[in-house]
Amino acid sequence: MADSSLPAVDQVLDCSGMSCPLPVVKTSQAIKKMEVGQVLELLATDPGVEPDMKAWSGRTGNELLGISRDGDVFHVLIRRLR
Amino acid sequence: MWSDDAESKVLYVQTHGVNDPGRCATPFFLAASAAAMECEVMIYFTMYGPTLLGKDVIDTIGPKGEQGQPLRYFIEQATGLGVRLLVCQPSLDLNDLTIDELIDGVQMIGGAAFNDLAISADAVISF
Repeated sequence: MADSSLPAVDQVLDCSGMSCPLPVVKTSQAIKKMEVGQVLELLATDPGVEPDMKAWSGRTGNELLGISRDGDVFHVLIRRLR
Repeated sequence: MWSDDAESKVLYVQTHGVNDPGRCATPFFLAASAAAMECEVMIYFTMYGPTLLGKDVIDTIGPKGEQGQPLRYFIEQATGLGVRLLVCQPSLDLNDLTIDELIDGVQMIGGAAFNDLAISADAVISF
């Protein structure tokens, strides 16, 4: 995540090796403990994480800033909005 | 029975029981995901479903048998996120169970309450 256009990450949540529904469940728990405006970076290897996090962020009203892939690992950036 | 505090309400229905362990965990997975999406979620256990909630059962079966997590893990993942578990009396009778033989926190409802929950839910998903 060296792209300087991406926002600073406040917390990293490593869900590598975990499968559905754990990345979603742990993201939900983690974001509730963060301040509004802060950015969470989720690391996950579950191949369904991209559609899942799009659905989750849409439903919960949090902002999906971007998803990139590095080998088997998806990096998902989410900003807490509410 | 819905609190209406959440934007969406999802009702799952589990009809499969201990004789089909491969079908025991998915409703809990999906319910946990829905709860993480800030939906209000309930699972109604009918037909053979209530057998999955037996106190003496949840540590002895799992969706992949000896491999992987026992059923308790999936139940607690869901209930820990606020998912509520419901049964009805006739399906307890069908399986020769009493509410006291089930894990704590299971709520007893009847057919009218179930139908009312279904009518007012945003989605009803049956297994």
